[in-house]
Amino acid sequence: MRTSDSVKHLFARLVSSLGRATATREFKWMKQALIPSHSLTLPAMLQRRLSGEPLQYILGTTPFGPLDLLTRPPTLIPRPETEDWTLRLADMLSPTPHRPLTVLDLCTGTGCIPLLLCHLWPPGSTRAYGLDISKDAIRLAMDNAARCNIPSSQPSSLTPYSQNVFIPVLGDLRDPDIFKYLLPPFDIITANPPYIPKREYDELPISVKDYEDPAALLGDPPDSEEQDGLTYYRLISQLLRQKGMLRDGSIVALEVGRAQADAVEGILQQSAGLRNTQVWKDPWNVKRVVLART
Amino acid sequence: MFRLLYRCHSPLKPYRRFFSSTRTYLAEVHPTSFNVIHEIEQDGARILQAVRKRIKVRDELLANMSEDMSSPEDIARARQLKELEPLHEAWSNWTHARQSLEEILPLMQDPDPTMRTLASEEFTSLAHTLSTHISTTFPSLLVPPSSTRDLHALLELKAGVGGSEAALFLLDLLRVYVRYAGSVGWRTSVIQSSETESGGIRDAILEIKGEGAYDALRWESGVHRVQRVPATESSGRTHTSTVAVIVLPLSEDAESISGNDELFKMEDVKIEVMRARGAGGQHVNKTESAVRLTHTPTGITVSMQDERSQHQNKRRAFQVLRARLMDVKLSQDVAHRRATRRNLVRTADRSEKIRTYNYAQDRVTDHRIGLSLMNLTSFLEGDGVQDFLDALRRNWQEEIMEDVVGESE
Repeated sequence: MRTSDSVKHLFARLVSSLGRATATREFKWMKQALIPSHSLTLPAMLQRRLSGEPLQYILGTTPFGPLDLLTRPPTLIPRPETEDWTLRLADMLSPTPHRPLTVLDLCTGTGCIPLLLCHLWPPGSTRAYGLDISKDAIRLAMDNAARCNIPSSQPSSLTPYSQNVFIPVLGDLRDPDIFKYLLPPFDIITANPPYIPKREYDELPISVKDYEDPAALLGDPPDSEEQDGLTYYRLISQLLRQKGMLRDGSIVALEVGRAQADAVEGILQQSAGLRNTQVWKDPWNVKRVVLART
Repeated sequence: MFRLLYRCHSPLKPYRRFFSSTRTYLAEVHPTSFNVIHEIEQDGARILQAVRKRIKVRDELLANMSEDMSSPEDIARARQLKELEPLHEAWSNWTHARQSLEEILPLMQDPDPTMRTLASEEFTSLAHTLSTHISTTFPSLLVPPSSTRDLHALLELKAGVGGSEAALFLLDLLRVYVRYAGSVGWRTSVIQSSETESGGIRDAILEIKGEGAYDALRWESGVHRVQRVPATESSGRTHTSTVAVIVLPLSEDAESISGNDELFKMEDVKIEVMRARGAGGQHVNKTESAVRLTHTPTGITVSMQDERSQHQNKRRAFQVLRARLMDVKLSQDVAHRRATRRNLVRTADRSEKIRTYNYAQDRVTDHRIGLSLMNLTSFLEGDGVQDFLDALRRNWQEEIMEDVVGESE
């Protein structure tokens, strides 16, 4: 079969699988991502998409606010819901080099949240840490920092920074020793922790379940008593409760799954002692973020 | 007034006009030399008429000035005279050059070849002076500077009647504008397009970044009609299809998502994301980036879905919304001026058929000014569009000048 015939045929199959409008747009984006000398061909991209692979892994990037971030399996692909609330958070605060903020992002994945904050806030106003338990994620976060021209190592001197910094750190948020590397107190703690309960995980579309890291999605360890997808919020609350973690006037922003906002609000109030909470909806009108202030 | 409207709707003869900004008159061709003054004056008849009227006003002002220049009326007259001074100076230069040209003509027949050469050189220079006055000097003194001269442009193209053939023609037109913008040094990007299965485009929005893009291209708004045998037509029958073009003004900061300026208030804009995502968040990794804006007071809606990024689609949508609102504002300004002053300048009715591209006759005709250009290929593949833009700009300038002059009557 000639290439053009096979492209036509594959596109027709994509149309029947995604619908014409979506297929047409995705096909256009594939063509835009084609690099002539590159080994990635249009039929190969279509094939991969037809077998269920997420478009973002095929194209290797995803937009996130004004950023264009690298995406690599199995690290969780940044979602538009996360993009939306991160932009909103960035808008809400205005750090300056004279009043800089220290950010900690837990379960950082691609590093999308701290990178966007570092990108949007003025140079020298932000020092961000991103913690993740996955080596793949930390490597990707480092690569993304380089892609966004944001330094990802500790500045050598203590003079005022002229740039924002994002430091990805490999580690487990349950490990008390991680704070040898991270320097509390923090002004902002963000997280998009795994929050999908097992029974919902089993029903996920192939493009999520078969391609993205279960460790970034499953809200509870298999041996956990609770299977409500909220284990990480309990762990994070324990962390927040520790003395010296948060500064006065700090902000905690946690992304949650559908119908989890109220429960997470309760956890933050009861286990972390954060009484001042509010919930943000995403653009699709789903309660998506629980915000707490000290 | 009658003459003007009449000319706009039903031109009796095509414009006999030279569309380069200034014309070079070659002295070597002697028979035409004698006609040159006549030709330049005919070419610039409307402009000259406007200038003469203004000069007449100036002469009357001068005549009415009292000896000691003491009355309040005199002060007003003096101010008006001062305003008209640059035009008067240009008019003097014109009259002087015209006179010199008349004097030089006999010398071009002189038996002495040296004299003939000198006269010929002088002739070329004077003719150039005269045509520059028509093309640049007088218009710059009579046409107020455009308030939209800094603006960039958005071109919205929509296929009208004619189905897939209209979509194919839309692609042809889009290429014309992209190439033209490139030749001027403007940057273009297609910010929205929906391709048809037959390889055409149903609708598209072209962003043209470059100062003056809006002023240069605004005449393209209207319905463009093509008459040709579609590539897909086996019987060889000519089809008529249309593409509607709207040229919108675009300011530098149009992409900003914040509102609360003279064009709109943020609270008046409803931002919606399209299509349901079910549980959303980590449950879904499908790209759903389509955005729709609704400006409640005007009911204008803008949908954007071409970019993978919702953020980018939102910025684009705001850009288009701003351009549409500014377009509304400019039209209102014109309507307002028309109501308060005598204004003959017509605004383009966008449903009006402005141009026909006839393949069988190898011709492009602009119906507003009755200009026909032979050689369709030069329009579609070359810089033919420039000729139309120049002619339309000039037509507009003449209307403005007549309007300005009319006001002072």
